[in-house]
Amino acid sequence: MVLISLVRDYIGRMLQDIPGMKVLILDSQTVSIVSVAYSQSELLQKEVFLVELVDSMSKEPMAHLKAVYFLRPTSENIQKLRRQLANPRFGEYHLFFSNILKITQIQVLADSDEQEVVQQVQEFFADFCAIDPYHFTLNMHMNHIYMLPTVIDPPSAQSFCDRAVDGIAGVFLALKRRPVIRYQRTSDIAKRIAQETAKLMYEQESGLFDFRRTEISPLLLVIDRRDDPVTPLLNQWTYQAMVHELIGIQDNKVDLRHIGKVPQDQQEVVLSSEQDAFFKANMYENFGDLGMNIKRMVDEFQQIAKSNQNIQTIEDMAKFVDNYPEYRKMQGNVSKHVTMVTEMSRIVEERKLMLVSETEQELACNGGQVAAFELVQFLLKQAGVDKRTGDLYGNRDLLNIARNMARGLKGVENVYTQHQPLLFQTMESIIKGRLRDVDYPFVGNHFQQGRPQEVVIFIVGGTTYEEARTVALHNAANSGTRFILGGSVVLNSKHFLKDLEEAQRISRTNSVV
Amino acid sequence: MATRNRTPVYRKYRDALRSVRVPAVSPIRAYAGPSSSSAGGPVIELVSTSLLHPDRAYTPLSTEDPGNSSKGQLTVGLPPAWVDVSEEISANIQRAQTKMSELVKAHAKALMPSFGDGKEEQHAIEVLTQEITNLLKRSEKRLKKLSSNAPSEDSNIRKNVQRSLATNLQNLSMEFRKKQSTYLKHLRQQKEGQDGLDLEMNINGTRSKSEDDDFVDVGFNDRQMSQLRKSEAFTREREREIEQIVESVNELAQIMKDLSVLVIDQGTIIDRIDYNVQNVAATVEEGYKQLQKAERTQRTGFMVKCATILIILCFIMLVLLILKEILF
Repeated sequence: MVLISLVRDYIGRMLQDIPGMKVLILDSQTVSIVSVAYSQSELLQKEVFLVELVDSMSKEPMAHLKAVYFLRPTSENIQKLRRQLANPRFGEYHLFFSNILKITQIQVLADSDEQEVVQQVQEFFADFCAIDPYHFTLNMHMNHIYMLPTVIDPPSAQSFCDRAVDGIAGVFLALKRRPVIRYQRTSDIAKRIAQETAKLMYEQESGLFDFRRTEISPLLLVIDRRDDPVTPLLNQWTYQAMVHELIGIQDNKVDLRHIGKVPQDQQEVVLSSEQDAFFKANMYENFGDLGMNIKRMVDEFQQIAKSNQNIQTIEDMAKFVDNYPEYRKMQGNVSKHVTMVTEMSRIVEERKLMLVSETEQELACNGGQVAAFELVQFLLKQAGVDKRTGDLYGNRDLLNIARNMARGLKGVENVYTQHQPLLFQTMESIIKGRLRDVDYPFVGNHFQQGRPQEVVIFIVGGTTYEEARTVALHNAANSGTRFILGGSVVLNSKHFLKDLEEAQRISRTNSVV
Repeated sequence: MATRNRTPVYRKYRDALRSVRVPAVSPIRAYAGPSSSSAGGPVIELVSTSLLHPDRAYTPLSTEDPGNSSKGQLTVGLPPAWVDVSEEISANIQRAQTKMSELVKAHAKALMPSFGDGKEEQHAIEVLTQEITNLLKRSEKRLKKLSSNAPSEDSNIRKNVQRSLATNLQNLSMEFRKKQSTYLKHLRQQKEGQDGLDLEMNINGTRSKSEDDDFVDVGFNDRQMSQLRKSEAFTREREREIEQIVESVNELAQIMKDLSVLVIDQGTIIDRIDYNVQNVAATVEEGYKQLQKAERTQRTGFMVKCATILIILCFIMLVLLILKEILF
């Protein structure tokens, strides 16, 4: 089962057993978890007529509604709930938490529920934002924390780790699996997260994670973004990645307001592979092919528009009215994609991205030119060379050099998309069972030989859409091993550089003190 | 998709806490008993809440705290009036759905070749179609009543209820229309087929006749005439039916147009949950800002008025003073 349908099932189960009119109350995190998987009209079908944030201050009593809370079990949320339960606005309260509740939290809630309005308390482990079927993010704030040594800011480092562990635990609980865990040796934060996850799964909540054993346990691999700092820096040329790099995607939404001159209903658009067939077909296509496909779509649309224009008989009319909603939907879709592609090509033109990207790819892929190589090396020192285990440029090992040369001889299909993220090599070695134990040790004594069928790779510090594409293409090829990619955020170069800057600033001020 | 139900644990704690809470409260109850009987209003309050939760110990507290009495009302409180409207509409929709399945059966029956003239079936279809159309129209009219203009959460709920009902209605009317148009198509096909068949039969008949009997001149005999007349009547009947259906299709198209304003397009930003949540927050904020602005303008308006009057008075006084100086 894939991530989005897991979250959808959770939400469906939450709502289906409660008859009557409902109000769904979310917190700032769960609102994006729910939004990427469920739509407003689907909620309406389940008789959810109001969606509210938990910190809304409204006092209007609505006893005829049943409140369905879906919250992360944080202490702030528990406090807000306490206040609400002491003075209830709604007729019934159904509490769902996205992760494991502490016993003390249950006690606190029970204590404030003097009027016994709470009907049920459940843990539904949808604690991750499933943006694509095989790609999840945790939308963490303060994402730069992972680059700092723990000593600088222990409490935020702890909360960073906790959130990551919660998210990973949520994914595995939703999948009903208990994995063996490996991590990247050179990264402290990856090690810490891996160990804490292991502790949770094998010690604290071992009963909860005790699912039916499969022959080969799935694998959780925790790696550090700094292992491959090049991928988030490159210019992207595939649709989804490009939109994120040039305009920015947040929870599958694209904000077009700053572009100017967009119609009212197109100021913010949705880019979801679930709801938009065109996007689903083209999200991994490169920009050139995308242009062709968009042209085809526009042509098709024109055809339909034309056929809608000549209405002569009553039959035509009936047919038109039948097809009208679809027509309107298509119209919205066409104009959305056209707006986006137009904007992107404007940016490409303006920033001369074709040239820039060619150089970038040259540097990233054929790092042979010593001067250029050193330049990049210098730039990347900021990100910490010692944090890298894999050979990022594929030039430390003879075999890779040979492969590179072969590629050089063959010539590349597309200069702009020749870069393969490091993740690709990691995935290949996982499939072949060749991931070295020295570089990626196991946590505890849960070793495992052979190739796993399910692998969750968690990148501390954030994923990129380029990597998501690699994973999705691999899963589509269906080689027997299924990968799921997750990270603390989804990066583009701007975001990555901002994190770097922030981390630099903090460590500098600390060293001054 | 693992889940864990913590309700038993929660219940356990709650019950444990209640047993702790009861002895702490009960002396108050003994104390509050007479005082509540002396107060007129809250007595009803106490009865109503204790009816709902007879084993509850906190109820006497409500007599002491007037703020709590509204809470008691809250738990008993009836849903607002529009809920009835929405329920009525959904009942209508349900009824229309059952009628629709009946109609499908009737359509199938009418399209089957039968020996009778099929008048009854046609009549049944007519009645059903009329009923469904009426139901849809009525629901649509009621739906318009649901909307309210007051900017509150309640109106948000109403809007959402309206939307969901509108979506249901639209789907239903769409289905209905599709059913009708397929029936129409079949009917037309049948009509054409029958005409063609009749014609063929006639030709065949005449030919065989002429072959049989060369003396009789080639013309319509009585039997053929009556057949022709019958088929003509039949055609007229069908024509009328078709017209009727077309009419109801048009009516439905109107309903559909009205509804389409309310229905959310799937896959657009309006269909996003977070967008709606943010939107509500934004509207509330906007409203607050407007209110502030209004307050400011109101206050400044008053001030300005005062100041103007004062200035004018000053001016008049000054003039008077000058006049006084000059004249006397």
